[in-house]
Amino acid sequence: METFAFWMIAAYTLFAAYFVVTARNLFRCAVGLAATLIGIAGLYLLMDAQFLSSIQIAVYVGGVVVLVVFAVLMVEDVTQKEFLRSPLSRCLLASVVAELLLAIVGGTMLSQGFGPDRPPQASAQVREIGHALLSTGPGGFVLPFEVISLVLVAALVGAITVAGKPGDDFTKGEED
Amino acid sequence: MHPGLEHYLILSALIFSFGVYGLLTRRNLVAMLLCVELVLNAAALNFVAFHRFLFKGDPAGTVFPILIIAVAAAEAAVALAIVIALFRHRRNLDVRAADTLRG
Repeated sequence: METFAFWMIAAYTLFAAYFVVTARNLFRCAVGLAATLIGIAGLYLLMDAQFLSSIQIAVYVGGVVVLVVFAVLMVEDVTQKEFLRSPLSRCLLASVVAELLLAIVGGTMLSQGFGPDRPPQASAQVREIGHALLSTGPGGFVLPFEVISLVLVAALVGAITVAGKPGDDFTKGEED
Repeated sequence: MHPGLEHYLILSALIFSFGVYGLLTRRNLVAMLLCVELVLNAAALNFVAFHRFLFKGDPAGTVFPILIIAVAAAEAAVALAIVIALFRHRRNLDVRAADTLRG
């Protein structure tokens, strides 16, 4: 059962990723990305990482993809327009580069010999993840946790500043 | 064939190479952003696969994907703000046209 589920989800995810890369319409690309992310969330579930799977759905599919769709709908008439195509020579060069990278990465991974019949082990659950994120001892991730919250705040402020009109002054309140 | 570590690694390498191909061929800024998301997801999938098959009970393998997802969210917010600013100034999202800063 798990084997069957893995192959189905893997084929679905690869097809959706291919769709993201080749679709000629921006909105379809975004929908393809949502499908890919849901497939990867399914793979996380198969690997017994339920918490990550739900985060993937909530933050990625519910947040990032919706943000992308909003931006796409705001900036152009995507239902009609198709993008400019890159020239064929560039596509060929890009596919050679991508295949080279795939060969290097895949060859390295396969030649490491991680042991094909190693049994899967229990994944960390929410309790361990929470303790790891907030512990200051060895194996704790409290510094990356704090840094990432700072990064998110900076990204939020930066996004508002960059996307706002040049004359807008966000420092003034609404009271007057 | 029962899925092992290699299967997940090869799958993530395939998704990674799709993302790189898209990044090199797309000319639209938003489409390039979507391809970057593919690459980031391939990396996160690798972390979880290693966590599942090699490092028993070490939560680092699930903490890093959370950090990756947070960084991807921040990146998407900033990149889409840049998209909106670019569109406001040029009415066009073609990356070849936005070369004002090219030396």
